[in-house]
Amino acid sequence: MFKKILIANRGEIALRIIRACKEMGIKTVAVHSTADANSLHVRFADQSVCIGPAKSADSYLNVPSIISAAEITDTEAIHPGYGFLAENASFAEVCNSTGIRFIGPSPDSIKLMGDKAKARETAQKAGVPVLPGSDGVVTEESSAIEIARNLGFPVIVKAAAGGGGKGMRVVMSEADFANAFVMAQAEALAAFSNADVYIEKYILQPRHIEIQIMADEKGHAVYLGERECSIQRRHQKLIEEAPSVIVDAGLRREMGEMAVSIAKTVRYRNAGTIEFLMDENNKFYFMEMNTRIQVEHPVTEMVTRIDLVKEQIRVAAGMPLSFTQDQIRVEGHSIECRINAEDPEKFTPCPGTITAFNPPGGLGVRVETAAYTQYVIPPYYDSMIAKLIVYAATRDEAIMRMQRALDEFIIEGVKTTIPMHKVILSDPDFQKGDISTKFMERYGNPSK
Amino acid sequence: MNLKEIKELIEMLKGTDISELEIERSGVKVRLRKGGDVTFHPVMPRMEYPPAAIVAPAVTEAPPTPAEKPVEPMKTNQIKVTAPIVGTFYRASSPDKPPYVEVGDTVKKGQVLCIIEAMKLMNEIESETSGKIVQILMENGQPVEYGQPLFTIEPM
Repeated sequence: MFKKILIANRGEIALRIIRACKEMGIKTVAVHSTADANSLHVRFADQSVCIGPAKSADSYLNVPSIISAAEITDTEAIHPGYGFLAENASFAEVCNSTGIRFIGPSPDSIKLMGDKAKARETAQKAGVPVLPGSDGVVTEESSAIEIARNLGFPVIVKAAAGGGGKGMRVVMSEADFANAFVMAQAEALAAFSNADVYIEKYILQPRHIEIQIMADEKGHAVYLGERECSIQRRHQKLIEEAPSVIVDAGLRREMGEMAVSIAKTVRYRNAGTIEFLMDENNKFYFMEMNTRIQVEHPVTEMVTRIDLVKEQIRVAAGMPLSFTQDQIRVEGHSIECRINAEDPEKFTPCPGTITAFNPPGGLGVRVETAAYTQYVIPPYYDSMIAKLIVYAATRDEAIMRMQRALDEFIIEGVKTTIPMHKVILSDPDFQKGDISTKFMERYGNPSK
Repeated sequence: MNLKEIKELIEMLKGTDISELEIERSGVKVRLRKGGDVTFHPVMPRMEYPPAAIVAPAVTEAPPTPAEKPVEPMKTNQIKVTAPIVGTFYRASSPDKPPYVEVGDTVKKGQVLCIIEAMKLMNEIESETSGKIVQILMENGQPVEYGQPLFTIEPM
C-alpha cells in the first residue's frame, strides 16, 4: 500500500481524497496555488506545497510543478481527483515515467475514451448500442446532409474532441443543417483546436443515466449501479440521484453488464463511468465514458455502502477488488444537490466571502465541502461551495430529507443555488420522477 | 525552539482554557493539545502561513489570516527573491563547486544566484536586480515551493 499520496486538486474533492487516505493510514501532500493557501485541504493534509500563482494554468494544471512537488515530498502516488489533470493522458504518462503511480486508468484508456468518436466505436465493438449516427468523423457537408437525412431529424453535430457539454449543435430540420454543420466545425476548431465533428440522432426528451464501474489490475470489473443526472442546465449537472426511478433490477443488470463489457474491451483499470442516454421507450444508447472519479460519486457510495475513493487507491496499489458483483447491493435512495456560489436565477458566479456557514446534519445527511465561515471563495476556479447528499429508505423520504437539509443549510455573504434546489424538489414532476434533461427549461433555463 | 521553551509553553497553557496551540518557527512546528500528545516534526516552510495558530475551544472560528513569516526585519528598500518554481534549492552548480553567492556579495542583474532542481533539470535562478546579498534564507538541499523566499537583496 502507498505510504504517501499527493492530491493534484483542490476544494471538496481534495478533502474527500485526504479523508480516504487518512483512514487508510496513508500520508497526504496537498498542492495549492497562492490563492488557496488558506484552504481546508491544505490545512488537513500532512504536508503542503505551493505550486504556483492563482491561475489554474500556472498551478493546478502545471504538470512540471506538480511532479516536482511529488519528487521533493517523496510521494508514491498521485490522485488527480476530477477536472484539472484527471483526464490528461500526458500527465498520467509523465507520472508513470517518473515512477509515481497515477491513481486512475492507463494513459491509453484515457486517450481512447477521451476521443468521443473513438469511444463510440469502442462501445459498438463491445456490443453496446450507440445512438445511430455517422461512422466516425464527417468532413464533407455533402456526406453530412445525407447521413442526417438517413438518421431522421432532429440530429446533433458534435465535436470529436469535445466534452463537458461543449462543442455541440442541435439541428431540428434539414433547412438549418448546412449552416449548423459549418458553424459546428468552426466552433470545434476554436474550442478544441480540432475541427473534427460527427453526427448523431438527437433524442428530444432524454434521460441521462450513467453506470459506475470499477476495475482492478487483474482485469476484474464490476458495475455499482446507476445514477440519474437528468436535472441539468446547459449540460452542467445540478441534481443527481441513485438509483433511477425508471431503472429496475433487470435493466440495471443489462446496462451494468454492457458497461463492464466496454471496460473489459479496453482493459480499463480503476474507477470509470459510462454515460447513457435513455429515450421515451426506455431504450438506452452509449454517450461517452468518463475516465475518472466523478463529482456525484457520493450517491453511489450511499446506496452501495462502498467507499469508491478507497477502492481507487487499493486497485492502484495493485490489490484486487474488495468485492464481487454479487456482493454489490443497491439499497435505499440517495440524492445530491450541487450548491454553487451563483445567482440562483441568472446562474452567474458570485465569488466573495462566506460570512456565515452552517451545514445541515442529522440522520442520513452528508455534506462534502471545503468551505467555512470567513472563507473567501476565489474567482479563479469553479463556483461549487458544497455537495449536499442525503440518503433514505425510499425516494419520497430522500426528497423530504433533502428539503429539510436545504432549509437548515446556512450560507451567508454569497448568493447560492439553494433556493433553486428547493424549487426543483417541490416540483410535482420531479417528485413523480417524471424528468428528462429538458426539465430545467420550465424554469426558463435552456438545456442547450 | 528548545525544550525549555516548550516547557514554558506547556506551563502557560495550563493556566488558560486554550485546549490546542500550534506554533511554527524556523521550519519547526509544535502542536500542544491538552490531554493529548506533543507532536514535534520538521515541516516545509510555508510562505503564507502565520507563525502561530491558536484554536479556540468553544466557538467555531475561522482560520487566521495570513501573516508574514518571522524573518529578520527587512528594511523597506530590500527585496526578496522568491522561488519561481517548485524543486530543490542548491547554492552551487555542483557539490564540489563554491556557492554562487555569499552574504555581503554584490550581484548584477541577471547574475545566477542559485540552482533549483526540478525533475532532474537544473534551473539557474537569476537576480532581477543589482544589489547586495543581505540574507540567504534557505539551506543547501532544502525543498522549496513556489513563492518560497530565497534571498534578501538590497538594491544598488
